[in-house]
Amino acid sequence: MSARANIQSKLFEINWLLPVLIYVLGAIGVAMIYAATDGVWSNGAQQHLVRLIAAGGLMLLVALIDIRVWYHLAYPIYGIALILLIGVDFVGVTINGSQRWLDLGVTRIQPSEIMKLAIVLALARYYHDLDQNRVSHIISLLGALLIIVIPAQFILRQPDLGTTLLLTMTALAIVFLAGINWRVILSGIGAAAIAVPLFFMFGLKEYQRTRIRTLFDPTSDPTGAGYHITQSKIALGSGGVSGKGYMNGTQRQLEYVPENRTDFIFTVIGEEFGLFGGLITMGLYMMLLAMCIWMAMECKHRFSRLMILGLTSTFALYVFINLAMVMGLAPVVGVPLPLISYGGTVILAVMFGFGLMLSAHLYRQSELPRGGR
Amino acid sequence: MQSHQDKQTITRRTVLLSVGGVGVFGALASRLYYLQVIKAEDYTTLSENNRFNYNILIPDRGRILDRNGTPLALNKQDYQLVLIPEQVENVDETLDKVSDIIPLTPKVRSRILGDIKNHAKFVPILVEDHLKWPQFAALNMRTPELPGVVPEVAQGRSYPHDGLFSHVIGYVGSAGPEDVEKDNDPLLRQPTFRMGRTGVEAAVDKQLRGKSGKLKVEVNAVGRIVREWPEKDTQAVPGQDVWLTLDAELQKYAAELFEEDSGGVAVIDVMTGELRTLLSMPTFDNNMFVSGLTQADMKRLNSDEKRPQFNKVIGGGYPPASTFKMTVMLAALEQNIINPSERIICTGKMRVGNRTFHCWKRHGHGPVNFQQSLQYSCDVYFYELAQRINIDIIAETAKRLGLGQSYPLGITGQTKGIIPTEAWKQKRLGQGWRMGDSLNAFIGQGFVLTTPLQLAVMASRIANGIQAVVPRLIIGDNTTDFEPLDFLPEHIAAIQAAMRSVCEEPGGTAYRPGAMGVPGVEMAGKTGTGQVRGISASERAAGVLKNKELPWKLRDHSIFVGYAPFDRPRFAVGTIVEHGGSGSKRAAHITRSLLKRALERDGLTAPNMDDDTL
Repeated sequence: MSARANIQSKLFEINWLLPVLIYVLGAIGVAMIYAATDGVWSNGAQQHLVRLIAAGGLMLLVALIDIRVWYHLAYPIYGIALILLIGVDFVGVTINGSQRWLDLGVTRIQPSEIMKLAIVLALARYYHDLDQNRVSHIISLLGALLIIVIPAQFILRQPDLGTTLLLTMTALAIVFLAGINWRVILSGIGAAAIAVPLFFMFGLKEYQRTRIRTLFDPTSDPTGAGYHITQSKIALGSGGVSGKGYMNGTQRQLEYVPENRTDFIFTVIGEEFGLFGGLITMGLYMMLLAMCIWMAMECKHRFSRLMILGLTSTFALYVFINLAMVMGLAPVVGVPLPLISYGGTVILAVMFGFGLMLSAHLYRQSELPRGGR
Repeated sequence: MQSHQDKQTITRRTVLLSVGGVGVFGALASRLYYLQVIKAEDYTTLSENNRFNYNILIPDRGRILDRNGTPLALNKQDYQLVLIPEQVENVDETLDKVSDIIPLTPKVRSRILGDIKNHAKFVPILVEDHLKWPQFAALNMRTPELPGVVPEVAQGRSYPHDGLFSHVIGYVGSAGPEDVEKDNDPLLRQPTFRMGRTGVEAAVDKQLRGKSGKLKVEVNAVGRIVREWPEKDTQAVPGQDVWLTLDAELQKYAAELFEEDSGGVAVIDVMTGELRTLLSMPTFDNNMFVSGLTQADMKRLNSDEKRPQFNKVIGGGYPPASTFKMTVMLAALEQNIINPSERIICTGKMRVGNRTFHCWKRHGHGPVNFQQSLQYSCDVYFYELAQRINIDIIAETAKRLGLGQSYPLGITGQTKGIIPTEAWKQKRLGQGWRMGDSLNAFIGQGFVLTTPLQLAVMASRIANGIQAVVPRLIIGDNTTDFEPLDFLPEHIAAIQAAMRSVCEEPGGTAYRPGAMGVPGVEMAGKTGTGQVRGISASERAAGVLKNKELPWKLRDHSIFVGYAPFDRPRFAVGTIVEHGGSGSKRAAHITRSLLKRALERDGLTAPNMDDDTL
């Protein structure tokens, strides 16, 4: 069988249902960005479409590469992501008060996005290599903790609370799935109960604390931090059951909701398509997530399963945090709605992630040695 | 390579997390349901509020006109500068820049900042009005660099006639918090709106004000108007004009007659009660109050001993002096305690108890009958009457003639004056009434205080003879259905004849034949010289000081009441010239001249021309 024929046969074996779901959501994104920008095609919708297509190519490329290659690359990718993160700390570009971007001349990249993927790969490999019986061992726990804490604290310093939380929660999901025993989990929760309030007091910047506080009492600062939440709820609430109709959202047209092209894109869906549109969108995300979980369950070895589930967790957390934020249930932390929100790096990272999932699924039967040998 | 058990753990925990995920979706979906179904109405309202502003349109204020349609208060184009706070990035910086062109005092600045605080961000705040054209032009040039600062041509209140009507018209000013509390007219919340503060402006403010219009506009998050909704607009309804009974020309003439003097005069139509003149002197320019008084203006107004701001014609209580004598005479006739032909000997003084009361004529008038008592203004005659009638009866008669009360003019600032009674003195001073009090009161001195308007009303009631004329200022305000006066016609005729003799017969204190300028037209009247100081026995012995020898503040008030024509009365006048000396001089001159001019302006000249004019 020639390499070309091999690739062709592999292309047929890819789980095409996943890309279909991805592109349905992506299309919603294009349509909503078009509305959010008052029907100006070139103000985001066009770029979003181009990015989706380009990132789709990347996804296929990633998908076709044998999962064993990705297994071997897991630690190097993590290492590179870490170096880039440290690089941001020194030479990063500051946008909106946060130093998150690294200017590579041709494009700016957000190393924290790469790290979201890298940490999943690294932890999946870590637990794949680890003897099942030693998962809850103190040394093993410390190893996992190092993998998590080192990048997390660099991202927190940028400061990017949203990504830090996302990263940590994803990592903890993998650790949980890897099978650490309940005693460790419970003591971890206990420690968190003590650490989180302390972190709130000493680990956060004032504006982040304000954002969390205003979440609980948005009226305290209706024009400042509470403004996003209030206006976002007004947009959703005024949409009602059936919405105001496509391109008819007044909150959107009058620019009452800031950043509605990016993080607050769901307000446009809610305002123009109502509860109906909101539930359909959420339903599509659920289907996508269910598809991913099914793919993980089909995989034979631990690396693939943990990797897919980890990436799925990341994706799910994006969706959950974003929706909760838009509906006034979580602080405004700057987490986009994946595939729908405008934003290049996120699409690239998410599609890369889906590529990895497809690859793992494609090569689900292949044998993977322990320790990379 | 993986154990079966390991696989089971992952599967079990995946299911666990998935269930958690479904739970999160459920929570989010119910939150969405809560927002979009249960709370939908609230948020729809909020969304509407987000979108729409109602810009209040201020109606043109009604004019105030005299009886001939001459404007006494009108609206003139006024160059103003307003500031729309939501469009201004830095208020302090902007005001600094504005001060380069029009100086803003710290007081004005703090007023502006206060206004900004007290109003919604889209409400225009007045920075300064009454701008000069060069300033206005300069501001227009600078607007591109001053976002939110808008030079506007608005309607400003203007009062022509150099303050002649200031006391009557009053002035407009911005609404205070207490006004907003009492009145929920949205206009009052507009910082550029001006409401009536005093005088007629305040009295008929609602009528002058008009109704606000609304401009429905759609605004975006930063307050910029993105769309107007002309079909939802309501136009402002301009205020109605208000007509006064005053005659601007006559008022102007009255002021000229006063020259530099201080006091008040009222000219009243004896049939309708319409006031043709209601003047307090000196006047002040009420235009100053529209834009806000400067400290210097305020100081000047308050330090003037002639008190320009004080509305003396309705608010000044003065001893009516001898003009009070008609009241006493009417009471005497009604009480039947004097025979008109009875003569009382005036020796120039009368001793009552241990005090001596003097007549103004040092050596007395000799025998004086009823009519002569008024013609010569003999004080002793009234001292004699004082011993025959109780003061309470005099007070009752005075009230019937319109003294001691205020009238429904609409404007504020009236005083009732004082018409003393025994009970009044007991209550006010805790002392019983004494004969000496009566003697003083019977010649209009002592406790008695009246306003020039009250004196005019008294004269008009005597002239009318039948109806208790009530003065009116605003046309369409009152009816002419007056109460009956209830004096016997022969009593009124006797008083009228006596008042005629004052002006038209030799020996009368204001004798000046042909004063009306038309043969056969006579006037009736009474002088009054209001003492403001006590005259000691030693001064009397040495010779009473002439007014010219006294400081202004100690000179007598010059008082006169009169009406004309005598046989068919048309107008009555009450005049008080503060410290103007004898009533036969300044006040008599002003009254005569005004009566003459009023009759001329009324087209009434000679009695024989009546048929022609009809």
